[in-house]
Amino acid sequence: MHRMSSFLLALVALATLAWASAQPLTWPAAWTSAEPGEAQYGGTFRVSALSDPRTFNPFVSAEENDIVDAADATTLLQQGPDSDAFVPNMAESFEIADDGLSVTMTLREGLRWSDGEPIDTDDFLFAYEAQTDEDVGSNAYDGWFIEGELIEMTAVDARTVRFDFPKEDRLALVVAGYLSPAPDHVLGAIYREGGAEALKEAWGTETDVSETVWATAFVPVEFLPGQRIVFERNPYFGEWNVDEQGNALPYLDRYVVEIVESVDAALNLYLAGEIDAFSPSNLDQVGVVSQAIRNGDIDAELLPNVAPVASSQFIVFNWNKASEPAKEALFRDVRFRRAMSHLVDREAITELVYGGSAAPMWSDVYQAYAYWVNPDVPKYRYDPERALELLAEVGFTPNDDGVLVNDAGEELAFTLATNAGNDQREQIAQIFADEARAAGVQIDVQAIDFNLLVDQLLTTGDDRPFDAILIGLQGGNRIWPWGSNVLPCDGNLHMYNQSGACLTDAERDAERLYGEGRRTLDTEAARQIGYAIQARMAALQPQIFTVSPLAHFSWASDVAGEHPADLIDTVVGVRQLPLTFKR
Amino acid sequence: MFGYVVRRLFNLVPTFLGATFLAFLVAQLVPGDFLAQRALEPNVRPETIQRLREQFGLDQPWPVQYVRWLGSLLQGDLGLSFSSNQPVWDLIAAPIRNSMVLVVASLVLLYALAIPLGVFSAVRQYSWADQIVSAVAYFGLAIPNFFFAQVLILGLFLLRGFTRDAFGFNELLLPVAQMTSSDFSDLNAWGRFLDVAHHTILPAFVVATSGVAGFTRVLRAQMIEYLSSDFIRTARAKGLGRRSITYKHALRPAVIPFVAGIGGILPTLIGGAGLVEIVVSWPGITPTLLAAIARQDIYVVLGLVVVTTLLLMIGNLISDLLLAAVDPRIRYD
Repeated sequence: MHRMSSFLLALVALATLAWASAQPLTWPAAWTSAEPGEAQYGGTFRVSALSDPRTFNPFVSAEENDIVDAADATTLLQQGPDSDAFVPNMAESFEIADDGLSVTMTLREGLRWSDGEPIDTDDFLFAYEAQTDEDVGSNAYDGWFIEGELIEMTAVDARTVRFDFPKEDRLALVVAGYLSPAPDHVLGAIYREGGAEALKEAWGTETDVSETVWATAFVPVEFLPGQRIVFERNPYFGEWNVDEQGNALPYLDRYVVEIVESVDAALNLYLAGEIDAFSPSNLDQVGVVSQAIRNGDIDAELLPNVAPVASSQFIVFNWNKASEPAKEALFRDVRFRRAMSHLVDREAITELVYGGSAAPMWSDVYQAYAYWVNPDVPKYRYDPERALELLAEVGFTPNDDGVLVNDAGEELAFTLATNAGNDQREQIAQIFADEARAAGVQIDVQAIDFNLLVDQLLTTGDDRPFDAILIGLQGGNRIWPWGSNVLPCDGNLHMYNQSGACLTDAERDAERLYGEGRRTLDTEAARQIGYAIQARMAALQPQIFTVSPLAHFSWASDVAGEHPADLIDTVVGVRQLPLTFKR
Repeated sequence: MFGYVVRRLFNLVPTFLGATFLAFLVAQLVPGDFLAQRALEPNVRPETIQRLREQFGLDQPWPVQYVRWLGSLLQGDLGLSFSSNQPVWDLIAAPIRNSMVLVVASLVLLYALAIPLGVFSAVRQYSWADQIVSAVAYFGLAIPNFFFAQVLILGLFLLRGFTRDAFGFNELLLPVAQMTSSDFSDLNAWGRFLDVAHHTILPAFVVATSGVAGFTRVLRAQMIEYLSSDFIRTARAKGLGRRSITYKHALRPAVIPFVAGIGGILPTLIGGAGLVEIVVSWPGITPTLLAAIARQDIYVVLGLVVVTTLLLMIGNLISDLLLAAVDPRIRYD
C-alpha cells in the first residue's frame, strides 16, 4: 500500500513535471485593458519610425538595434509593465544562488525560431560568445563586465544555462536576464566559419529579410529602405505565448513600421489615417491631434501629459580649472551652486519652453523611474533673494549698477555652453541667464556644436576648457538607475570633476553607496540606498537639474489591447505588441 | 571633336581629385567623429570607444584616412558605413533611384507647365494674361519648396474637411507623405506604378513650380525674338496659320537652349529634390545625406559627394557636346 502510494505519487509528480515543463508563457490579463475574451485575431497595426534599421544583425549595432525592439524582443527574463520585478519570459524559471554570485535559468520547452528550428541553450550561448568577442564590437559588450571582470555563462544541459558573476551585482541580472538568443544554426555557423568579420557582414540591410530568423512575435517579411518594414505574425510564437484564455499570441496578422523623415511627416500620416499611433512631441502637436479628433478627421484616443520622459537636463559646473583658480574655487563652493539652483526658474522653463508640459527635476534620477525617485531630497527652488544671500556668503555683493562683485571689484561672470540646434536647451540656458543677470550675475550663453560640447565635457585632468555646460543624459534601466560611469569619481561621465579622484565627502559617500546599491539584490533595500545617494547629490548640487518634459500618446480608436491607463508611461510604453488587436 | 572629348576626360581627373579632397577635408574639420556621441552613454567604457575608433580606422591622421579611402575608391569601393557596417553603395543606391523618380517626374511636369505658359505669354505680350502668368510663376520661384509642400498638405486636409461636410466624401485626394502605400507589396506591377505616381504628384508639383518661373521667362523672350524675325514674317506672308507659325516655326528654334541644357540636368537628377523630400518623407538622397551628416557617418556622405561630382562632370560634358550638335556656330576642334 505504502509502496503503491509512493509509486502513484511518483507518477503524479512525473505527470506534473511533464505538464509543467511544456507550460507556455501566459501573458497576464493585468497587462491589457481589454476584457477577457474581447480580443480578436487579424488586422494590421501601423506605426512610424524616424529612421531605417541600419542593420538586421543583432551584433552590429554601434547604435541601438531598434528593429528587434520594434517587434518586442524576446529575452530570458522580462520586467512587466506593472512591476520592476523580473518575471520569466523565454526562461520558465530562474534561481538566484544564496550568495548572489550565480543565477540558473531553465528554458521553456517548445521554443522555436521563425524557421521552425528549436531554440536551445546553444542559441543563448552563441549570443553570449558573440557579444563578448571584442572583434565583433557589439553594443552589449561592456555590460558583460563587472569592474573589468567577465560574467561567465555556461550551459548546464540543453535547457539550463548558468551565469556566474565575479561579484554580487544587481546589474548582472539585467545583463543576463535581457539576453536574447541568436540563431546558432544560421549566424553561429557563419561565425564559426568566418569569424567576427564574417558575422559582422551578415544580415545587412540589403539582405532579403524574409531569410532572416527571429524568435519574436512578429518577423520582418519585407523591407523597403526609407519606406517601411512589414512584419507578419511568427507562427511559432503562439506555441509558447498565450493569453489567460489560452489563445495563441500575437493577435495581429501584421505589424507595419512606416519610415518617415520627420515628426511632422509622421503627424501628417496620422492625420491622413495612414498610421495607427502617434506620440506628439510637443503641445502644438497635441493641439493639432485634439482638433482633428474634434473635427472628426480621425477617430482616435489622446493621452496628453502622461508621464515624464526617461532623460535628464542639467547644468554642470567645471571643478577643474587650474588656470583660473578663482573660478575653480567658486565652482567648487557648494553655496555658489545652490545659489545658481535658486536662480533656475523651473516654472518659467516649464511654461515658456514646454508650454506647461514638464515636471521639475530635483534629483539625479529620471522622473520616469518614479519608484526610484526620492521625493524628499533638499530642493533649491527658484528664490533670487536666497541666491543673493548665499552669493554674499561667498563674497559677492551688488555694486551701484546691481552687478555682483567681490572685494577686488571682480564681476561674477561665467560662460554657459549648450549644443546649438537644440532649441529647448538654448531656451533653458537663456531663461537661466536672464534670471541670473537680473540678480547681477553675468552669464554668457554659447550654443556650440554638440560634438565640441561633448569633447569639452569629457576632457580629463586639472584644467578643463569650460565653465558650465547645459546638457542631458538618457539611457539606464529600472534595476539600478545610475550609470556605471557617473557616480564613481573616476567615471568618464563624472562630469563636474574629472581630476580622477573624489574631492568631497559627498562624492566619496555617493561612490561607496553606488557600489553598495549594486551589491544589494533586494530591490526595496537598494531603493533606500538610492534615496541616500540622491539626498547626498541633491545637497551637493554638482549638477543642477532643470525639468523633465512630459510625453503624450495617441492611437487610433480601433486599436485595442493597450495597458490599463495607470500603467502607461514612457518606460513601458502604451502597449505590449503581442496583446494588441484591432477591433 | 574626338580629341576634344579625350582632352575633357583627362581634365576630369584633377577636378575629381580636388573635389573629393575638399569634401574629405571639410568632413574632417567638423569636431568629433562618429563615436563622439556614444561617449555620453552612461554605461559605455572609454576603452570600448577607443577600441571601436581603432577598428574604424578613426584613430589615424586624416591624410592617412584619405589615402586609404581614395585607394579603395579607385578600385570602385566606396567604403563601409560605420553605423550599419554595410558597403556605402548598398545604402545609397535606393535613395539615388528614388530621387531620380521624383526629379524626372518634376522635370516632365516642369516642361508640361512651362512650355505652354511661355508660349502663351509670348503671343500675348504685355496683356493682363501675360502679367498674371508672370506673377504666378514668380510666386512659385519665391516661395520656399518645403513651406509650399506643407501649405499644399494643409490644403489637402482642409479640402477633405470640406468634402466630408458637403458630400460625405472623407478621403484625401493625394497622399501626404512617402513614396508608396503600406499595401504596396500586394499590388501588381501596374498597381505599383499607379501608387508611386499618385504619391509623386504633390512633391513633383512643388519641385516643378520653383523652376517654372525662370524657364517661362527665357522661353517667352526667345519666342518673342523669333516671332518678330524675318523668317516668321515670310511664313505669315505665305498665309500660314497662326498655330503652325507659333508651334512649328517659332517654338522649335526657341527650345534649342533647353535641349542643350538637358546635360546639366543629370546632376540635379541625383542631387535629389532637397528639403521637399524631408517634408513629404520621400526616401531620397536628401534625408539619407542629412542623416549621415548628423551621425558623422562620413563615408556615406563622401559616397554621395563622389557620385554627384561624377555626374556633374559628365553632365557638363554632355551639355557642351549637345550644344555643338544643335548649334552649328559652335566648334570644338
